[in-house]
Amino acid sequence: MSATEARRSARPNRTLGPGHDTFWEWCARGELRLPRCTGCGKLLWPVASACDHCGGGAFTWERQSGRARLVGWNVFAQSYFKGVLETPYTTILVELEDGPLFVANPVGFGEADMAPGLALELRFVPARDQAGDFDLPVFALAEM
Amino acid sequence: MAGIAIGCPPPSAGLSRKAAIVGVAESDYGADYAAQRAKAPGWVAPSPETLAPEVFAAALADAGLAREDIDGLACGFLYGGPTPEEMAGMLGIRPRHTMAVLGLQRGSLPQVCAAIAEGKADTIAVITAVASRSLGRVFGNYSGDGGASATYYYFNPWGWTSQGAHWGLSWQHYLHAHGHKESDLGVVPVQLRANAMLTDNAVMRTPLTIADYLASRYIVKPLRLLDMCLVNDGATCLIVQRADLARDAAKVPVAVAGWGSAAVTENKLDALVRRHLADEFAESGRQALAMAGLEHSAVGHLEGYDASSFHLVNHVEGHGFAKPGTALSAWAAGEFAPAGRVPVNTAGGMLSGSYQHGWSQVVEVVRQLRHECGARQTPGLEVAMTSVGETDMVHPVLFTRGL
Repeated sequence: MSATEARRSARPNRTLGPGHDTFWEWCARGELRLPRCTGCGKLLWPVASACDHCGGGAFTWERQSGRARLVGWNVFAQSYFKGVLETPYTTILVELEDGPLFVANPVGFGEADMAPGLALELRFVPARDQAGDFDLPVFALAEM
Repeated sequence: MAGIAIGCPPPSAGLSRKAAIVGVAESDYGADYAAQRAKAPGWVAPSPETLAPEVFAAALADAGLAREDIDGLACGFLYGGPTPEEMAGMLGIRPRHTMAVLGLQRGSLPQVCAAIAEGKADTIAVITAVASRSLGRVFGNYSGDGGASATYYYFNPWGWTSQGAHWGLSWQHYLHAHGHKESDLGVVPVQLRANAMLTDNAVMRTPLTIADYLASRYIVKPLRLLDMCLVNDGATCLIVQRADLARDAAKVPVAVAGWGSAAVTENKLDALVRRHLADEFAESGRQALAMAGLEHSAVGHLEGYDASSFHLVNHVEGHGFAKPGTALSAWAAGEFAPAGRVPVNTAGGMLSGSYQHGWSQVVEVVRQLRHECGARQTPGLEVAMTSVGETDMVHPVLFTRGL
């Protein structure tokens, strides 16, 4: 097993299929891209087949800057993914620079560092689920 | 922007007070819970088949009606059960109208009222049963089918799921915004436990203190075990009757006077975490009051859907019983206690009373409006409200004493 394989984090399953696959393909290229509705301009997350603002079905995949601000965080003590994720673990809710709220995990920092508004930046970590290997977008403290 | 929740009949004034609740019954939640934990030899896990006939018979007795008087049957067995037709056979009735009801939040009670208004039946028994604990159900993992909202499964790769996570974020945002400490939320489970101790069939009836609350383990921080509602077995039966027939009821009839519904249509996490569903509470509440022809000041009692303690804070503020940011200090001051300004969840709610997905709170409203509640009675109550305010929708119903 390569060093990357040994580090690859087992994760609960992604939602896959048309559109969703495109999101993860961009992640594999090291880019966080979200669909922007060509009808009304709304940036969508989660990916959906129809815009939840105008109902439109056509999107362009827009690269995100990777900058975000911390909105909130949870520490999971109860295990909802037995055998895949060990508790406790921390999740964060961030607001991407272009607006959408995005659920992720913190890397390189923890609860003690957290406060609303904390400046963050995008990272990818190697992961795998039952569908295969993928790169998971997460957030680290923004470098000054 | 709030849209109408799927399944709820429109809040038309023409449907107001067309039906009234003339009989209620519930299983003994506390006794069943204790029996399930003890698992004495010969104990059998409750099921809809065992629970429904008991609550049906008890509701008939409460209404002073006979089996033959029931010409409609609505069944809601959330974790599976017989079809309404099969249940009718088990109950020994031959209703001319049967319907499945999916859950209180889907507008089930308005659906029953609309069926009566449309002449499909005159006297409908509404039986709901929950046997989740006996099936070993643990809450948190959702699949993507059956209409389950994307936020419950889409963020799974990051380990995110569950009601606790949704509402933990909402509570955290609120506590930062209003300068609270985590321990401030404890006043809600403490009050509801005190209320359950006044309720004979409540599940949790031992005293609870703030120290107990703070000692309880986190589920999804910042929400603790004692912030989360019970998981227990039980059943309820309501006898809902056409208003003109209900005037002759054995006990004071409780009219279904109005309802509302509003659903989040986009930006769900923002609506829940940062805006606390304010638009949805306001719109659905406005609909219900307009349909009932009542002012907000007339509402004297609230039964809110306390899937967590913070849900209930949200209901109280969202429905205008406390200004934003003030509910917890009002709770600490006793404003929502049985003797308070606006009694809330007087039978212990879902935190300490029973987790019947809101149905037991309809039963409590009926008993309160009949003035049957003894030590936990809201004095002189004339108008009460139930509300289910979930992660992306709000559905209040208004009830009045008499017709």
